[in-house]
Amino acid sequence: MLEAPFDVVTLAVPFFVLAVILEIALGRLRRAEVNYETRDTLASLGMGLGRNVFGVLTAGVAFGAAVWAYQHRVFTVPFAAWWGWVAIFFLEDLTYYWFHRLSHERRFWWAAHVNHHSSQHYNLSTALRQTWTGGLSGTWLLWLPLAWLGFSPAQIAIQQGISLVYQFWIHTEAIGRMPAWFEAVFNTPSHHRVHHARNPRYLDRNYAGILIIWDKLFGTFQPELDEEKCRYGIVKNLGDFNILRVAFHEWVGIGKDLMTARSPRDVLGYLFGPPGWSPDGSRETSATLRAQWEAAQGPKGRPTR
Amino acid sequence: MTLEGPRADLPSSEDPAILDREFLIQIAGSAVAVGLLVALAAWAKIAKPLPPLSDARARTLLSEEFPGKPLEHLWVANDGRGALARSGASALVLCEVGDGYVARHIPWAQALAASFRDGVLKLDLSDISAPNARLAFDIWPPVGAGAPKDVA
Repeated sequence: MLEAPFDVVTLAVPFFVLAVILEIALGRLRRAEVNYETRDTLASLGMGLGRNVFGVLTAGVAFGAAVWAYQHRVFTVPFAAWWGWVAIFFLEDLTYYWFHRLSHERRFWWAAHVNHHSSQHYNLSTALRQTWTGGLSGTWLLWLPLAWLGFSPAQIAIQQGISLVYQFWIHTEAIGRMPAWFEAVFNTPSHHRVHHARNPRYLDRNYAGILIIWDKLFGTFQPELDEEKCRYGIVKNLGDFNILRVAFHEWVGIGKDLMTARSPRDVLGYLFGPPGWSPDGSRETSATLRAQWEAAQGPKGRPTR
Repeated sequence: MTLEGPRADLPSSEDPAILDREFLIQIAGSAVAVGLLVALAAWAKIAKPLPPLSDARARTLLSEEFPGKPLEHLWVANDGRGALARSGASALVLCEVGDGYVARHIPWAQALAASFRDGVLKLDLSDISAPNARLAFDIWPPVGAGAPKDVA
């Protein structure tokens, strides 16, 4: 089967809408810590809506590439086999982890992903603040090995949809912490709050999709600390709610930097260095921000793992 | 959270006309839902409370934004919607956006030379993600800030 018989995300849209209504109601009734700012909400939901339009531009290419890889597969994983679904659950989630890490640690892909982090709020509307340029950045290539291994494009698409729907509910401050066993294995609102936080201690942590085990395995896990409340957004927050700025500001920034590049090293650094890289080191990356913060805090403030 | 990869955003029908119609209906329905949810969020009035900045609050926010940078002078805007501090050769700018703040640092000389008219200081932040900031002050440059030539 090449084409998924249903789209998990489309099926989940009513759930998304009802969940946002519920979260706003909880905030209004002061039953939970929920904040919505009107223009921020419009920007987030507008990005989600626009993603449907922009996604069409590259979906055909990504799908065609997956079909091509599947046609050259080394094994065949039967669509109906239970073990195939178990395998793709773990393999897709592992792929997501590295896609997500790449999207934070290298500027070219950060430019496509930054919009998801540019809200200073952390609520369910933030979950829908989706990229418009992800397809153009080519990160869909990372999933092609799954098709080459023998998972059908339909199976990959379904598992990706499940992952996306799973990640929706964790974008909230209304849920504190889940039971300890759940927090140990799965990505949760608490873990993902850390991921969206801009506190130096929390930068570039918790890249997980569904399973938090990958962060623990690859050394990027950071628990949420009661003594350090998350401050959301990006290191350099946006100056307004202009949706075009939300979608494209980092791409424009890259373009302006490339205009000033004076060597191939500069070009590579501006494109594929960590966000904040500059030839003379005068700008701040996550690493330098963390180092500054650690220096200001002293030994007590060192990141907790 | 981002959806990438070989997910087929392609509708299942073979007829392009049906595809277009289904797609447009889906987009239109989504747009209506977005409008309703934004209206609900506006009605709920649950933005973060944002009282005018006090001196202490401005210092706290600036220390979070610029850890380790000492504040030599701090000026809070008249309306409490922002602040500007001097830290060595840098001006640390804090400006209200929605129910949050945006912070940037620019050369102090650039802050001193910024346009000041009708009680509003317009700062060019030279950043595509936050091009400028406006802060309300009685006078600019403030007393004791030093003329541009002092820090050039």
